[in-house]
Amino acid sequence: MSDNPSPILRPTPTDGFPSLTSLQQIATENTLKNRHPSAALPTDTKPPEAVLQRNQHIQFLVRNLIQGFPARYTSQDASQPWLIFWTLQGFSVLGVGLDEKNKKRAVETLLGLQHPEGGFCGGPGQAPHLLPTYAATCALANAGQPGEGGGWDAIDREKMYDFFMSLKQPDGSFLVTYDGEVDVRGIYCLLAVATLLNLLTPELIAGTPEFLATCQTYEGGFGNASFPGWALRDDVAPGEPAIDPTSPRPPLGEAHGGYSFCALASWVLLLPYINSYPTHSPSLPKPSINIHSLLRWLAHLQGEAIELGGFKGRTNKLVDGCYSWWVGGCVGIIEGLLAGGGVGVADESPENEAAGEQHDDGWDDVDDSLYNRKALQEYILYAGQHPAGGLVDKPPKPADAYHTLYDLSGLSAAQHRVIPNSKREKELLACWTEDEVKDPVEGLRRDTFAYALSWLEEEGASKYVGGAQNRVNATHPLFNLTVTHAENMMAHFYKRDVPSRYRTKLSK
Amino acid sequence: MPDIAGDGPEEQPLFSERPDWTDVTPVPQYEGYNPIAPIFYTPQYKDATDYFRGIVKTNEKSERVLELTEAIIRLNPAHYSAWQYRYHTLLAIKAPLDAELKLMDSLAVQFLKTYQVWHHRRLILTAIYSPPPSNASGLNDPTATTSSSAKSKPSPESQAAARTELAFITRVLMVDAKNYHTWSYRQWLLAFFDDVHLWEGELGFVERLLEEDVRNNSAWHHRFFVVFGRGQLQGEEDRVAVLKRELSYTKDQIALAPNNASAWNYLRGILERTGTSFSNLRSFVEPYTKTHEDRLGDEEILDLENPAPSAEAELPCVAALEFLADIYEKDAVSKSVEIWKRLANELDTMRKKYWEYRIKEALKDVPVQS
Repeated sequence: MSDNPSPILRPTPTDGFPSLTSLQQIATENTLKNRHPSAALPTDTKPPEAVLQRNQHIQFLVRNLIQGFPARYTSQDASQPWLIFWTLQGFSVLGVGLDEKNKKRAVETLLGLQHPEGGFCGGPGQAPHLLPTYAATCALANAGQPGEGGGWDAIDREKMYDFFMSLKQPDGSFLVTYDGEVDVRGIYCLLAVATLLNLLTPELIAGTPEFLATCQTYEGGFGNASFPGWALRDDVAPGEPAIDPTSPRPPLGEAHGGYSFCALASWVLLLPYINSYPTHSPSLPKPSINIHSLLRWLAHLQGEAIELGGFKGRTNKLVDGCYSWWVGGCVGIIEGLLAGGGVGVADESPENEAAGEQHDDGWDDVDDSLYNRKALQEYILYAGQHPAGGLVDKPPKPADAYHTLYDLSGLSAAQHRVIPNSKREKELLACWTEDEVKDPVEGLRRDTFAYALSWLEEEGASKYVGGAQNRVNATHPLFNLTVTHAENMMAHFYKRDVPSRYRTKLSK
Repeated sequence: MPDIAGDGPEEQPLFSERPDWTDVTPVPQYEGYNPIAPIFYTPQYKDATDYFRGIVKTNEKSERVLELTEAIIRLNPAHYSAWQYRYHTLLAIKAPLDAELKLMDSLAVQFLKTYQVWHHRRLILTAIYSPPPSNASGLNDPTATTSSSAKSKPSPESQAAARTELAFITRVLMVDAKNYHTWSYRQWLLAFFDDVHLWEGELGFVERLLEEDVRNNSAWHHRFFVVFGRGQLQGEEDRVAVLKRELSYTKDQIALAPNNASAWNYLRGILERTGTSFSNLRSFVEPYTKTHEDRLGDEEILDLENPAPSAEAELPCVAALEFLADIYEKDAVSKSVEIWKRLANELDTMRKKYWEYRIKEALKDVPVQS
């Protein structure tokens, strides 16, 4: 699998000062190190091979989709679109297409979750909620299409927009549902959907970048929300900002991998809007986040060799396969920002290095990775797979639908490099005429469309632990859809003929 | 914990078998199609949610809706619509909200990992004590833009309620000291009531938790929230004292267990927040960057401000080397590069790519060195 010598499996130092955290850490290391290929094995045992158990995982997904989920999934009864999205996107990452009959069933089931007042619900007869709205929209990107019975044109976009606006808070955040909580997951879900379905307006996202920035903690990662109370102005005249920018808005909750992914992906989806700040908000300072401290914190969440290089979700917590996507994917977004010249990143000098032509099999000089992609792939392949199919948090936990997708998406992020391509962005911008973008709202939509779809897989930058038979499809870092699905759906809702991206790549 | 609900819904007959529910028409989940990826519910769960959909359809808000939504919540605490409908019902029928809080005490402990149990508490407290009694009790206004004299004092009831709530959260954290929602709720509660008597106990609380487990990052984060989250509480001179106290506390914790990322992140956080140069910490950090053998040659001076690593500390400490490299980056970048190379190739090879990136970035800004 690799010619590199096995790393020494050093336990995490505890300095002769044990505590509950270090004891749990040691217990986890003891479980994981046995999965390491260099673990001491009886002499007649072959070391485990790094093989993606593709067929077992496909069977796991087929079972869930066709037969359904056992009663223990009742806890996901308010997340039914998620069960469908995790399964369909799992197929897409594994390169499996769904047959027409099951696509139709999926579309029908998903449309049954649309609320008459806009948005999608966790289950039939439940209330609309931002999280299932993302899951249903992305599941429809997988299984749906334009036209009769295709599902896409049955999405009530006008009502969805009204639903989004009804959740908006004075501090730029959104409730996840009526009288629900505020947190950056909901904001990510809203922005991903608004981008895919062409619903962005300055009115919808005013104040949202500032809110996101307040969620960054002293560690560099993002917490789930911030406290608005001290900054809310009383008696605000219409049109005036409801927030006093000089007042403290401290983050609630510590830096967390899942929230950090949501916050950064949201930020990047908003970059075209943020970059136009002097135009639409002359009185407000352009908000910024600290990419360097975020990157530092993310890099430190990668576990040691004894933990097979999996990612933790918070400082001093345990590795978990799902953070392969939330944290590994988040580093991938930063790689894209840096490669693309650091749009919207404070004090970042543009640097557009030519993509290196790498024909070397070694890992050390592969690319501009900012974390250990090889080790992360090893974690997923050696520790993330359940022998009976499906993927897991860590052994000996059972497989579940959530971890199956996010382990596989994390594997995808660790194999491929998907970054903005400026040539592609120009091509996409040219899908609008000058006349069309005289309307600033249309200009924002064009820029968002072009920037979001400019993220393409970099040719020659993919690397596979265990060889190319372990290859999974690349996913779009901002949506967790394949680039094809994201592009098809956006082309439809922005009513554009998108030029083939294969030409862009060839002529690079 | 008081068990308000008695035996729980397991012992109850199905709603479809109960005479007091015959006037409700249950609504099945799927009508007219064969869904993909269905869940195989227990008969009890299917029964309760069929009646819930029936109630929602007719928009009934009544006492029995509370019973129904509680039954669903006990079977699936993540059913956000049941929580939401329950909340609207409580308000509509003007149900006693203190009784609701008591019920939440038992549910929160049972289901502490779900968002909804904590959010519902927040809604109930807000409903009881709204508008929030913020900036009200002897604290300076954190915005320093309006006069605090016009604000009213918090009522004794709200002060008592906040104290009770804080004590409850403390008990839950004893069960799970890193529960994200519990911590987030505690921070919200402190900010919402914003009562000086609530804030002043928090530092001691954090220190108790860190005595239990110095690696509990949630407790470190809470400390930062308590010390810096509210902005300027007192005069400038006091902030100097605060920084001194925080540095001293953090150094002591690092000395106990040097390879503790939480404490180092906190140290970086307070320096960055207060605009303090990392190089002020150089004499503290250096002993942690050496091996025990290398330290033998150093003159041992008892320095109370800079506690030394213990004999059992595993040295050199990667976090200390990273810190030292950051000190050097400004005016001795070649020394930083030397440290980063050592981290990349020897001491922290998992982050090799990151350390190489730091080298590349640092050298980019530097004119060619002789």
